[in-house]
Amino acid sequence: MGTVDKLVDLQTRRSAIEQGGGETKIKKQHDSGKLTARERILKLFDEGSFVEIDAYVKHRCTEFDMPETEAPGEGVVTGYGTVDGRLVYVYAQDFTVIGGSLGEMHAKKICKVMDMAVKMGAPIIGMNDSGGARIQEGIDALSGFGEIFYRNVNASGVIPQISVIMGPCAGGAVYSPAITDFVFMVDKTSQMFITGPQVIKAVTGEEVTFDELGGASVHSSKSGVAHFKADNDEACIEQVKRLLSFLPSNNLESAPYYDTTDDLNRLSETLTNIVPDDNNKSYDVKEAIVAVVDNGDFFEVQKDFAQNIVVGFARMNGSTVGIVANQPKVLAGSLDVDSSDKAARFIRFCDSFNIPIITFTDVPGYLPGVEQEHNGIIRHGAKLLYAYSEATVPKINVILRKAYGGAYIAMSSKHLGADMVFAWPTAEIAVMGPDGAANIIFKNDIATSADPITTRQEKIEEYRQKFANPYEAAKRGYIDDVIEPDSTRPRIISALEMLASKRESRPAKKHGNLPV
Amino acid sequence: MRRFNISVNGKTYEVDVEEIKDGVPVSAPVASAPVASAPKAAPVSAPKAAPAAAPAGATTVSAPMPGNILDIKVGMGASVKKGDVLCILEAMKMENEIVSPADGSVVAISTSKGASVNTGDALISIG
Repeated sequence: MGTVDKLVDLQTRRSAIEQGGGETKIKKQHDSGKLTARERILKLFDEGSFVEIDAYVKHRCTEFDMPETEAPGEGVVTGYGTVDGRLVYVYAQDFTVIGGSLGEMHAKKICKVMDMAVKMGAPIIGMNDSGGARIQEGIDALSGFGEIFYRNVNASGVIPQISVIMGPCAGGAVYSPAITDFVFMVDKTSQMFITGPQVIKAVTGEEVTFDELGGASVHSSKSGVAHFKADNDEACIEQVKRLLSFLPSNNLESAPYYDTTDDLNRLSETLTNIVPDDNNKSYDVKEAIVAVVDNGDFFEVQKDFAQNIVVGFARMNGSTVGIVANQPKVLAGSLDVDSSDKAARFIRFCDSFNIPIITFTDVPGYLPGVEQEHNGIIRHGAKLLYAYSEATVPKINVILRKAYGGAYIAMSSKHLGADMVFAWPTAEIAVMGPDGAANIIFKNDIATSADPITTRQEKIEEYRQKFANPYEAAKRGYIDDVIEPDSTRPRIISALEMLASKRESRPAKKHGNLPV
Repeated sequence: MRRFNISVNGKTYEVDVEEIKDGVPVSAPVASAPVASAPKAAPVSAPKAAPAAAPAGATTVSAPMPGNILDIKVGMGASVKKGDVLCILEAMKMENEIVSPADGSVVAISTSKGASVNTGDALISIG
């Protein structure tokens, strides 16, 4: 064989691999509303930047039908490229090649790009579209999963890890996405579950469809497994790119800086009237966030899950910040099991990747109820306290209105190490609300009064005048300043600039023991 | 045995008083026990039976947290749009607007103004 023949041979081999499972299977993939692994990759990366590695890897299984089974690319496409000019690693499971099933060599390909991503300090994106473990490979397939999980854990907090679910992701396979930082799901075409509808029917008799059990809607609103939901593959990949634009490449870098056209001294008139005069009325805290951040551009994370707390990314004067805000519109903005989990995980991500955390507080307390107590609000609520205390990135808190009791402490209070705590004049910072407090403190005055109802109202008002304001806390230095609402943006930006050189060390330890 | 509220220096005490004649209690305390436990069972099921059950296929809006129904903004049969306020639930120091999850009309009102509700209690059904 001469060199020319060898070149022809290379071309033939390469094009066979690029065909994946072949025309029929690719058509089937398209008919079910999905792109192929290669099409997805091309949509993600800057044009012409994708470089594939390990295309020629083959499985080594000799059991059952496997010796005769051709699996071009081993059912997964791996490599690297650039997104907005920044290095990113990718693996995309190819459903057209034996159902994208995961065997020994398939897993080895994934592990190789993961190792490279950690070594080079660049994000890794995993596109999941797989029937699960390749049964014929038995315990070697299980070993493959384990090797991936282990790398996911080691990479956690070192590089951003993003999972994109674009097809089935079932059984053990779900735990790699579960460990990663963000999970995207495509509506109608993706599912995640540990045991499928058939097994559930056999064991418990419950009848449920794939989508009801583990579709994008369920996981983005009910279980909280997914952070983002998209209508189709293209929209999903656009969301991934937008998320990447907010993130640093690794834990030693800062997030990319973008020039902004938004004046850093801009006053936001809308904030003056956003808190209703009647403190029993609600408002949409997202309006406050949008009024403060650069160009009103707020990228919300877990939009449909635990809506009583709002988390997401934005920029202040061009630099990425993480936003955490109570939402008075939902469950009165109270903290419960799910909202504590949601915020704690987001805060820990921001802290891992040097993203300052800005908190907007309007919290009436922890949600009461037998259900909450029995679901472990003590254990889950503790995560929020832990995450805020543990974070050493700049922490700024703006108390818009209510900050009561234990929930006041949990929401980035001075006591948990917040660097700057601002309060609006509408803030009410106290151990509990005026109604409850008056009932306890003035119990006897009310009980012995000739007109208990009037006395009670008087005492509530007395308590409100005295404690439901920001000045008691400011007297003690728990609030650094009381500010005009319209000046919130310039004050936060000025604080962020002051905090840019923040250095805070903690006692050396292996790791803390977060109450999970 | 009789029960009294006695106020001493502004503090209220709840006191049980038992009459003793010739060192023997007039009524044996054991005898009163079954009387006390009897009326408990009745009130539990009574209020639940009252509201009309929602017709099949209707979307029932339930209380997201424990609180009091301050106001009901819609009447039976009223047509509502998604996002319209159905009732006001006062809870966690806040008047929470409970909104319709869908377009439709009110087919059942399972609560009343002033009622105290628990998480998951049916409020209003939209069909």
